[in-house]
Parts: sequence; structure tokens; C-alpha cells
Amino acid sequence: MADVILKTSKLNKTYFGKVDTPVLFDLDLQILRGSFTALIGPSGSGKSTLLNCLGLLDPQTSGEIDFDGRLISAQNVNDLAGFRNAHIGFIFQFHYLLPEYTAYENILLPCWIRGGRPAPETGREALRIMEHIGIEKLKNKYIAELSGGQQQRVSIARALINRPKLIFADEPTGNLDRESGHAVLDLMAELNRENNVTMVMVTHDRDVALRADYIYELVDGRICKFLDVKKMGKTATAAAIESRTCLIEEP
Amino acid sequence: MKGKKNRYEWMIALRFLIKGKGQTLLIVLGIAVGVAVQFFLASLIGGLQISLIGNTVGSSPHIRILPADRIAKALSSSKTPSDSGRVLYDERTEIYSWQQYVHDLKKDPRILHAAPAANGSGFIERGVSLIPVFVKGLSDADGLAIYKIKDKIVAGIPELVSDSALLGKSIADRLTLAIGDKFYLRNDRGDQVFLRVGGIFDLGAAAGNELVVMSMDRVRSFFTIEGVSVIEVQVADVFRAEKIAREYGRRYERVKIESWQEKNRELLTALRSQSSSSITIQFFVIISISLGIASVLAIAAVQKQRQLGILKAMGTTNRSASKIFVIQGFLLGSAGSLLGMAFGLLLAYGFISGTEVTFGLEINARTLLTPIILALLASVIASTIPARRAAKLSPIEVIRNG
Repeated sequence: MADVILKTSKLNKTYFGKVDTPVLFDLDLQILRGSFTALIGPSGSGKSTLLNCLGLLDPQTSGEIDFDGRLISAQNVNDLAGFRNAHIGFIFQFHYLLPEYTAYENILLPCWIRGGRPAPETGREALRIMEHIGIEKLKNKYIAELSGGQQQRVSIARALINRPKLIFADEPTGNLDRESGHAVLDLMAELNRENNVTMVMVTHDRDVALRADYIYELVDGRICKFLDVKKMGKTATAAAIESRTCLIEEP
Repeated sequence: MKGKKNRYEWMIALRFLIKGKGQTLLIVLGIAVGVAVQFFLASLIGGLQISLIGNTVGSSPHIRILPADRIAKALSSSKTPSDSGRVLYDERTEIYSWQQYVHDLKKDPRILHAAPAANGSGFIERGVSLIPVFVKGLSDADGLAIYKIKDKIVAGIPELVSDSALLGKSIADRLTLAIGDKFYLRNDRGDQVFLRVGGIFDLGAAAGNELVVMSMDRVRSFFTIEGVSVIEVQVADVFRAEKIAREYGRRYERVKIESWQEKNRELLTALRSQSSSSITIQFFVIISISLGIASVLAIAAVQKQRQLGILKAMGTTNRSASKIFVIQGFLLGSAGSLLGMAFGLLLAYGFISGTEVTFGLEINARTLLTPIILALLASVIASTIPARRAAKLSPIEVIRNG
């Protein structure tokens, strides 16, 4: 039996305003432990909204999320700050680092939030991660002094520092040039392989998506395709992504 | 464990303030000016009041115990004990049992000095003129201490020797009497005594400087006073004189008791309205400080919205988010009030040395701490506005809107 770390059932999300905007409809999906999953879809398909719901940043309107055994309903999402801190890492399209802090300090912020001044071994761990992803020289630089690729590496290091169960990435390469984008993706793939961190990534780039183990395609707030890249092979997967027909029928 | 956990909010608050140098400096200066003005005002007005009160009552009795000027009831019933335990005399025009009163009063720790005095009116003959004077007979230690004769003496020796008198500065000037000069003092019956000027004092007040001071026994015998004319009392806290006087008024039935407050109602009213106008000014200074802090922190909360959203995504709770702002308010208030204290002291000493004031500033724990505590309170209360905003902010608002 597959080891599922994250599972949704009948997940709905509606933005309420002058006009209510339903975004996600009865989504059922599963993320396997240690897998690298891509969420793709045209803009407006709801993939970022789904990621934010899965990352417990945005409460769903209805339905349930089973986060590694913890059941999260629409009501309790706001009380999950501590849970997010301990179990979830985020990488966003824009780096979302704090300009008041250096690269090294930014990486350690989740530890501060978790338990105050980090222990010396946590500091060494941060340095080890920085070295591993090639940003050890940027330790004392402030965020504004870094390039886009460097900033994204710092935010990856920050996402890793509390050893989360899951890392959510929203267009992590979207703001980078091709070369730094590839480097960041290589790094993510490597971390996924080596550390067995589960990754869920939103992207609109087909080539980026093909580096994942599994692909969910969203169209108009519904899951339209689920592709197992290893099983199908990259060529077949690429062809499947290109196809306009949905592989999962409406129930 | 919990204490350790709480520390990161301080770390973040401090970093936000340090990185927002200009804004931080501006608000700290704002608070500092407010605190300085408050401190300066309070110590100036305090000093002025203390000097006013000192001039008015510093070198005079605060409470006077006088003969009742009427027949006391107690005489009709021999069983009623007197004020001091024994029925002795009717204290109608003089106080006969003054020793008991003084003994009783001196037991009260709130009372600094209690001394009998004998008063008389006489004339000093000088050439062809006969000048009426008020003669006061004082006891050696406490009597002189009440009038602070030792400090106020401008010439001669502050001693009550039997053939000499101490003269107030005005009367000595008027009679052109100097130390060692001799003069005749006459009483209303025409008796006269030959006296030497032993000293001249300046009490700073017109009435005091018209006095002729002699030893009490001399005055008693010269004016044929059997008891004493008054018992004069000086208390440690001048503002409690009235209360103490009222207390003794209930206990002593045969005598009349007056406090300085009863005789200086107008001064007291003036002091009180001065205090209340100073409090009004301080109140509005506090309001304006609070508004300043609230608005700067509110702007900071909007500016730091992105950072707050990120922190919340990483696990900062609503409570911690608002704490970050309250801590900022506290830090701003602390820095501002310390700087303000320095400004205030500079301002105060500059004022003292730059203008010809005759009074010192009243710098004590109250004038120092009140503005600091008020500024801190105002800062913390003002910071709750952005703090509430920070608590309400949802991380997704920031993440979704980039």
C-alpha cells in the first residue's frame, strides 16, 4: 500500500466577496511520502489556491485535508501556525525573505519562531545547508544584495531548516532566468531524492513539471489529469500534457 | 521553556526598529520632547511651589495653639480632666499649662518643633521718636529653630541673652540700629528696659522683619505674662499641618488651634490652580505623544505587512504578531523617555543658569518617574492599535497579492 502523507477529500474553496468566486470543486488528491509532485494548469485554474490550501495557509471552504494523520477541517486552519512551523516549508515565486535580516538570519527565522534563539548545532546545520546549496559565501549579505537565484536558494534553505515533512513551492523558478531556474530545480530534485522530503510544486512550465514524479493538472478548479511520469515515461507524459482531453472523467 | 520561546518577538521588534532608523529616530525624538517638557514643567512648577511655600511658611510656625479667649466649660465641672491630663487653669487669655502641651506635642513624630512663645507690644524710643514694635519672646532651642533665626541672621550672634535683643532687618534699618547699639524698650505701662542689639535677622517676609526677638522669660516678666501667649508648632510635612491641627483641635478642648493653611487660603488656591493647569498641559502632551506613537506604528504595521505575512506563514501566531508591535511600542517608549529625561535635565539646568530665578527645580522620584511611566504606558497603549491589525492579518493576503 502506498504511503500517503497528504490527502484531500471533497476539498472546496470559494472566495466570498461582492461576487462569490468558487475556485476549487470537490478535489480529491493524494500526495505520496517522499514524492515530487507537480501541480500544473492554465492560469486561473486554481493551482496556487490549491497549494495554499494544502499548505494550510488558506482555509478551505469545505472538505477535509488529512495531513499525515492530522485531520484539518475548514474551521481550524487559523490555529495552525505552530503546525506549519514544524512540518511545512514554503518556497514562493517571489522569495519572501525579510529584508531586515541577512541570508543566514533569514534561514534561521523558522527556528527562532519555533523555540527562541537557535542552538549552536542548528546554526551549524544552517551553514551546512548553505554550503550544500552553494550559498555559504552569502551568509552575511542582506537580501537586497542577492540575485534572484541566490534569493531563491536562501528561501529553499529556510524551507529546509526545520526539517519539514512537506515543502510547498509555488512557481519557484517563475521569477528566475533559465539557468538559475534549472539550478534551483536541480537542487530541489536533489533534496527530494537525498533527504526524502516530500515536495509539491506549482508550475505552468511543462518542462519543469516533467522533472516531477507525479503531475496533477487542474482545469477550472477540477483535477483533469493525473500522470505518473516514471510509469508513463517522459515522452508519453509530455504528449498527455499536450492533449486537451481530460483523463479523469467527472463523477 | 516558554520564556525562551517568547524571546524571538523581542528580536524581531528590535530589528524592525533598528532597520527603520529614520522612523524610529523620529518617534523617539517625539517622545523625548514630550517627556522633557513634562519633566521640566513638573519640576519647575514643583520648585516654584516649594519656594513659595518655603517663603510663606518655611520660617514661621505651621500650627499655633492659642488661648481660647473664652471661659472653658471644663471649669464648671471639676471632674473633667484637662487637655494634658490634669485640670490646672482656665486657658482663657494665656496658656498656663504650656509645659504639658509642649511635652504632649513633642511626642508626635510628625511634629518637628513645638515651642512656647510670649508676645507683647511695646515701643522703642529712638531720639525723639517712639516706634511701636511687636516683641516676641522665644525659647532657646525650638523657638529659634521655628523661625530659623540661626540661618537668617545677617549680623551679630543668634543667641537670646537677657540684656540683648535680636531685631528684624526692617526695624533695625528704620531705627538705624547696628550690632552693639543700645536702646530702650517700653511696655504699655511705661516700664522700660535698656537693651543691646545682639543680632539682626532677615526672615524674607515683611511681617517677620518687624519683630523684636528676646528670650521668653525676659518677655514674660517684662510684660507680666504668667503663662505663655502661644505654642508654636512646626511639622515635617507642611501640607499635613491642617489635618494635624484638626486632630489636636479635637483633643485639646481648652485652646484654639490654627494652621497656616487657614490663614493662607488664597495662596493655597493659587497653588492648586497652578498644579491643575500644569496637569492639564501634561495631559495634552501625553495625548499628543500617544497619537504620534500610534500613527507611526500604524504606518509601520502597514509597511511591515509583507514581513508579517511571511512570518505568519512560517508559524508566527497572531498573538506573537501583535506582541511584536507592543514590544516596539515599549522599546520606543523606553528609549524616548530616557532621552527625554536627558533633554529635560539639560533644559532644566539651562533654564536655571540662563535666567535669574530665585528658586531651584524640584527634581525627585515623582517628577522624574511620572513622565517616564506615563510615556511608557502611552507607548504601549498606542501600540495596541497596530498590534490588533497585525494579529488580524492573514498570511494568505500577503502571499496572494505578492
